[in-house]
Amino acid sequence: MRRTDALPKARGALTYGADLAAPQMLWAAYATSVHPHARLRSLPVEEARAMPGVRAVLTAGDIPRVLPKRRWDPSRPLLVETECRFQGEPVAVVAAQSLVEARAAARFLQSKAEWEVLPAFTDLEKEFPEWPDVETMKRHERVNAHVLARRGDFERAVAEADLVHEETFRTPMVAQVPMEPHACLARVQGDDWHVQTTTQTPFGMREDIADKLHLPEAKVRVEGTWVGGGFGGKNEALLETHALLLSRLTDRPVRLSLSFREEFLFTRTTQPAIFRMATCVRDGKPFARRTRLLLDTGASLPGRDFALGYSLGFTLGPYRWDTWELEGYALRTHRAPFGPHRAPLAPQCTFASDGHMDSLARRLKVDPFQLRLEQVWRTGDRTPFGQEVPPFAAAAALEQARALEKEWRRGLAPGHGIGVGLGFWSTGTSMGGEAVLTLGPKGLTILQGEREIGSGSVVEGLRVIAAQATGLPEDAVEVVYGDTSTAPFDSGVFGSRTVIALGRAVEKGCEALLKELARRSDHSPGEAGEATPRPRTSRGKLRLDLQGGEVFVRSPRGTGPLLGYLTEEERNGGGLRAHGKEYGRSHELDSSGAVEGDLYAYSDLIAAVHLAEVRVDPDTGSVRVVRYAAFHDAGKVLDREGYRGQVEGGLVMGLGTALSEEGLITSEGRLQNAGLLDYRVPTIRDAPSDLRIIAIEGFPGSGPQGSKGVGEPPIIPVPATVANAVADATGSRVLELPLTPERVARALALISPGAPTGPAGPVTPAVRGRPK
Amino acid sequence: MPFELHFPTTFEEAWALLEKGPPGSTLPIAGGTDLLLAMEFRRFSPRHVVSLSRLPLQAYEVGPEEVRIGSLVPLRTLELDPRLCARLPALVEAIAEVGSVQLRHRATLGGNVVRASSSSDLLPPLIALRSLLTLRSREGRRTLPLEEFVQGSWKTGLRPGELVEDVRVPLPRPGTYRWQRVRPANDISQVGLAVVRHPAQAGGLRWNLVAGGTTPTVQRLIRAEATLVSEEPSQEDVALAAQRAAEEARFATDLRAAEEYRRHLLQVLVRRGVEDVLRSPLAKEVRG
Ligand SMILES: Cc1cc2nc3c(=O)[nH]c(=O)nc-3n(C[C@H](O)[C@H](O)[C@H](O)COP(=O)(O)OP(=O)(O)OC[C@H]3O[C@@H](n4cnc5c(N)ncnc54)[C@H](O)[C@@H]3O)c2cc1C
Repeated sequence: MRRTDALPKARGALTYGADLAAPQMLWAAYATSVHPHARLRSLPVEEARAMPGVRAVLTAGDIPRVLPKRRWDPSRPLLVETECRFQGEPVAVVAAQSLVEARAAARFLQSKAEWEVLPAFTDLEKEFPEWPDVETMKRHERVNAHVLARRGDFERAVAEADLVHEETFRTPMVAQVPMEPHACLARVQGDDWHVQTTTQTPFGMREDIADKLHLPEAKVRVEGTWVGGGFGGKNEALLETHALLLSRLTDRPVRLSLSFREEFLFTRTTQPAIFRMATCVRDGKPFARRTRLLLDTGASLPGRDFALGYSLGFTLGPYRWDTWELEGYALRTHRAPFGPHRAPLAPQCTFASDGHMDSLARRLKVDPFQLRLEQVWRTGDRTPFGQEVPPFAAAAALEQARALEKEWRRGLAPGHGIGVGLGFWSTGTSMGGEAVLTLGPKGLTILQGEREIGSGSVVEGLRVIAAQATGLPEDAVEVVYGDTSTAPFDSGVFGSRTVIALGRAVEKGCEALLKELARRSDHSPGEAGEATPRPRTSRGKLRLDLQGGEVFVRSPRGTGPLLGYLTEEERNGGGLRAHGKEYGRSHELDSSGAVEGDLYAYSDLIAAVHLAEVRVDPDTGSVRVVRYAAFHDAGKVLDREGYRGQVEGGLVMGLGTALSEEGLITSEGRLQNAGLLDYRVPTIRDAPSDLRIIAIEGFPGSGPQGSKGVGEPPIIPVPATVANAVADATGSRVLELPLTPERVARALALISPGAPTGPAGPVTPAVRGRPK
Repeated sequence: MPFELHFPTTFEEAWALLEKGPPGSTLPIAGGTDLLLAMEFRRFSPRHVVSLSRLPLQAYEVGPEEVRIGSLVPLRTLELDPRLCARLPALVEAIAEVGSVQLRHRATLGGNVVRASSSSDLLPPLIALRSLLTLRSREGRRTLPLEEFVQGSWKTGLRPGELVEDVRVPLPRPGTYRWQRVRPANDISQVGLAVVRHPAQAGGLRWNLVAGGTTPTVQRLIRAEATLVSEEPSQEDVALAAQRAAEEARFATDLRAAEEYRRHLLQVLVRRGVEDVLRSPLAKEVRG
């Protein structure tokens, strides 16, 4: 495929959120809280309103005035009312004639706001040095959700085991860091609430805005722009609600965008987690596993668990267990709210789960491939939750990785090590979508409601699918981007679902078109003008073709121009139309295990096995990935280059999680590295030059032609793989991400084990037990 | 803060501009890679910014014993010059690690020395190479060793209205620049170390070792230098120098590294740096 958006992107010719402008537009900027937890004493709003160029300042107190007839829900604050819940929470939004003036007023508000600082809960480790007992947690008001699920009796498994292997893994805050910051342009005219924004989920955004502003969904119109990466961070309405309210207040279009600092502080992201893993072994065979997870869900709203159960499932790995127990707590802290982030928490869970498997293999002195192969799910097995395993390539991928590992191991240089990591993912196919297809004499157009977020799944993926389904060349297929009032519904570009679900809707639409043409071919008078129906031979064999810029239909009856198949109405109306829909199906869980809290069913299962060779500097602890191979359960590859790009990008992103990315907070809970200087995402120069991508086909999924999603899977096994390789090179396991040189140096005992990085800032008393 | 940008074409014009207003209200700009960030973060809020781009500060002459680098020569030019690569490895190795290619097309030596950052990758090699600065003002020219010029972050011996005209570096000099970063590409070094060997001088030192990542600015490792007396110090001397370096360096703990780790790193880098210089072809070629 040729990416039609590539050249215009490289030349800066496409319009992203921050490029939007409108006549009469006002510029907006945020004043945010500088403390993780504090009570707002005063805010000099009137002075800010009098500043040069300022047209409006929106605070929590103004919202009822802007939305007079709506009841206001104080448990879902849009702006800080009396108490801030995390550092970076918006307190006020300024709209001014210029960006400079908007920022000046916002900065003034932020620096002049008076706060009474309250104790902040930002450190899980300090709050819970040990696994807390149930009674404590029942009373702990910061517990947002609790999941306890088990099959069998883990304590009995411990009693029966020859060996209980226990480890605690820790993972830090990590952020999505799309290259394009959040940005939108809002305009309210009468009761048309229109926002152009950089989003992965226009329809989800519409629902969210309608919900937050108490508007009927039909009054909200969300129009996507080109998106410079989302990674889960551009799903919900963040700044759109504020921009809309300011537009309502000023009767002018309002543009609002985030700085990179604000990106880190106030968008939803992955917060720290502590995984206590235990695996029981009898006669050399691991047979029982328990995970205890403490998850920081940031300042999320009470009762929200953010798929705690779903995450916990990943800590069992794609493995069979006789006995298992999963327990986790989602804790509400004074960090930014937890949110989706390319395979939310799956890389972290896999770091724990697969790292634990790897260290067990080393402890038992068995081949790590062998240990995994003996336990791994195969097609037709049952998952721990009692679902039948659909076609699943984990074992095949492990076998192929093992063969390559043998090759690498011959002639392995001293100081180098090789690690394998196994992860899995399940596509969000049950989240549906639709597309409207029009087949005209010049080609096919696909009207749909998503925008391209970078992977190519919309701008090219849908065209490839339609081209392959119909026989038309890709150039004759056009994707049209509607807004939420013109396009048919779709769930969004996330969860590896775009090609799989929306793509399947397009494929179904194509099938419907061909079926209708076949019917007409069989029943119509045809070119010869015969009236009698012919035998139904065309179905399934009918294909489209482009000749001299005209669409032709090729059927067993011969080849003819599409025009001959269209009714007069269709000829006048642009062509033959079909409405493709894919709503998947929801899967059932076997409830015979004792379950408390929500667990989630999987749909397609996708395996990813990674192999890394690393060089560890024995004197400094620095880790360099020298080669990397990724074996992916593809179902069916629809486009080689697109597939490769997706896996490469995901695994390089994963190398950041593995080696360099972490949010560092002060003892007061303030993020110290909110910016690209000290929050280190990998650059192209940090990517290994020897990168092999191997797609394993033949284990079909539910996407077009049996394809499987490839959005999340590439990032999932990376941290585990790198940590396993470091353990292989050094004999020491690093149990905490990321594997910075300093952390590895501590694991290698080059320096003392404990002393943490970070300045010893002023110490506020840690919140113990129940915070007030 | 809005500011006015000026493009003087003569030194006279530049000085007239730079002398206007209270201190800090007018600042010169070269590549802008440090200054614009400092303005963004409100460290400086100049009303007037004076571009040096049209002044004759681009001189670049590679002689047999010295290279003269105009303060406005972009780093990328130096990095791509094979004459420097062969004869000033310590400087070129360091330049190649500054930011990205895009950045090095803009960033200059003049800006780097005036920024005087403790984490600069260029100050350690330039000081270890015993570079001299030519400073120019209405009063005329003066020459200052870079080591004396740099005083602390954003603190230098630059007088009001004075401009850095060029940097003069002796060559050839065997040497190397060693560094460690959390992310190898485009990151700030946790520790940087320049090692340079000079020709014999009566009573003079042969080796200069300068570390970055130290506090409050880059630091010459005097005790370590004193340990490396000969042209080819023994392994024991090198080990001792490494140990002394780790002891004498002033480090702090910050979010990039713990003090303890920095000390450990410096010891490793000194040992490796000196050994690598001794093994380098240039060290074998340039003797005496
Ligand atoms: C993304 C990024 C990555 C970076 N990575 C590194 C790195 O890896 N290592 C490193 O060492 N540095 C790094 N830097 C810092 C920076 O690029 C260098 O310090 C650069 O050499 C500064 O030169 P400049 O020409 O851009 O200076 P400017 O920003 O133009 O000026 C800096 C200061 O010097 C003054 N000034 C400039 N020229 C003169 C002159 N001729 N006479 C008097 N005063 C003058 C200015 O007034 C200003 O105060 C990085 C910067 C960025 C933005």
